Amino acid sequence: MLLRCQIPLANFELNIDVTFDTRVTAIFGPSGSGKTTLLDAIAGLRKIAAGEIEIDGKTLFSSARRINLRPQQRGIGYVPQEGALFPHLSVRKTILFGATRDGHAGNKGLTVDHVVDILEIGDLLNRPVTKLSGGEAQRVALARAILSQPGLLLLDEPLAALDIGLKERILPYLGRVRDEFKIPMIYVTHNLTEVLTLADWVLMIQHGKLVAQGVPKETFRSANTILQLPNEEFENVFTVSFAESNREAGTTRVRLASGGELLIPYVQRQADVSFQIRVSADDILVATERPMGISAGNVLSGAVHRIESLDGEAMLTVLAGEEFLVRLTASAVMRLSLMENTPVYLIIKTRSFRVL
Amino acid sequence: MIFSFETWQITLFSLSVGFASTLLILPFGIGLAWLFARKEWPLKSVLETIVLLPLVMPPVSTGLILLKIFGRRSSLGTWLYERGIEIVFNWKGVLIAMAVMSFPLLVRSVRTSFSEVNPRLEQIAATLGASGLRIFFVITIPLAYKGIVAGALLAFSRALGEFGATILLAGNIPGETQTLSLAIYNFVQLGKDPEAYTLLGITVALAFLFVWCSEWLLRTGKKA
Repeated sequence: MLLRCQIPLANFELNIDVTFDTRVTAIFGPSGSGKTTLLDAIAGLRKIAAGEIEIDGKTLFSSARRINLRPQQRGIGYVPQEGALFPHLSVRKTILFGATRDGHAGNKGLTVDHVVDILEIGDLLNRPVTKLSGGEAQRVALARAILSQPGLLLLDEPLAALDIGLKERILPYLGRVRDEFKIPMIYVTHNLTEVLTLADWVLMIQHGKLVAQGVPKETFRSANTILQLPNEEFENVFTVSFAESNREAGTTRVRLASGGELLIPYVQRQADVSFQIRVSADDILVATERPMGISAGNVLSGAVHRIESLDGEAMLTVLAGEEFLVRLTASAVMRLSLMENTPVYLIIKTRSFRVL
Repeated sequence: MIFSFETWQITLFSLSVGFASTLLILPFGIGLAWLFARKEWPLKSVLETIVLLPLVMPPVSTGLILLKIFGRRSSLGTWLYERGIEIVFNWKGVLIAMAVMSFPLLVRSVRTSFSEVNPRLEQIAATLGASGLRIFFVITIPLAYKGIVAGALLAFSRALGEFGATILLAGNIPGETQTLSLAIYNFVQLGKDPEAYTLLGITVALAFLFVWCSEWLLRTGKKA
């Protein structure tokens, strides 16, 4: 996808020039950095002063060639932040609103039943949309966009309006949409966890400018991005395969791609099915000697690979089979005399892992 | 005479011409209100002001302007007369006077209800492939319908109460152009108080009913 656009805004100019080609691209940046404007421009809902937008070889907009497809012709599904469900329609009529549009190649297997099934909205179909909870409304907005058979899905902070508990429940649906429907997505957010769990490419935007782009983990690892966001929780996300689980013990053993194993809270999955788990960089303890007699289910041995410090905080990259990011205070780094290549043990409570 | 044939005739005439005038202005009113609520163009405010003028101008002045436009000595009047259409001093004059006088109320009310429809819903409908017409009829109108009905009721009530413009354009001809308001005036002039009071009662009852319905619609419309 080619995205080049200049849009004058109240306080600055949105000026983006980027080419990317990935399944799920996150646009990450603080509030007011022009993210929603960018989505509106892609969807054809906002005037672009100059630029060019091209998806899959199809030009949606080109100021030089005087092309400006109407939103109807762009084949883009848009899930705006507020959901924007049609308040006078039932859930069924809402999700079928765009289903009359001609499908795009590659999405032909996408049926109403399948989408309803994946998003678990079957029980809601006859309800008026005004009688939905926040999480239900977001799933319905997603279904509506997907059923219009788009060539690209735009998601504008779909979880921002939800409380934390609900976020945890809706995030897996987004993962399912990504894996089941294979529709390319652009996902706007200012939440690191969402980027790390869902996206395979990230564009970081500040004040209307692209400041960095790349694979999320690598892009975020540079100190000047993570440590500039002190209130953000930085999470380690791993794709693991199910080994075995024990309901009475309350635990599940999962296998990392590197071959190592982790103990996470009890979940039931089929053998060898892979899924994502995550753990906050703040929930990992570091020890320089192997700890004995502790309750934590995971003690991993590894070595410090990198230390980045800023303002009393340090972000450690520890290689322990996989790369773990651990956030410590500068004081902890000094007390343990941590340096590159220091052998360390990572201690992670079983219950600190979240399953997506 | 209390509920005499004459009373019924006057009431029925007012109601049917008022109804026809409301039907006549409805499509134009809705179209113009939508343009005002959703589009921008140079000198838009001038057009907005012109549309609102009959609301604040003395109705008699509006009636005089209409008389100048539709009178037989005007070019439009002559043109219409040559084609067998006469506006002045018959029911068509009543219709035109009512339409012009109630138009601003309709436009204002409908415009407000269009403004209250979140434009984001229309935008999202467009991304879902809906044409402008489909968006208008499936999203905008259903979401604004309470305001539209309320506006139509208001316009209808205003039409029924029309006096100044009507008397100039259509005169006060019993059995031909005499509306409720004109008849009340006439009966009072002739000292026929019981007749005047009967019509007064009818006008109060109708006005109350329509304004009450219109307000109720607007209130419930806000809640939705």
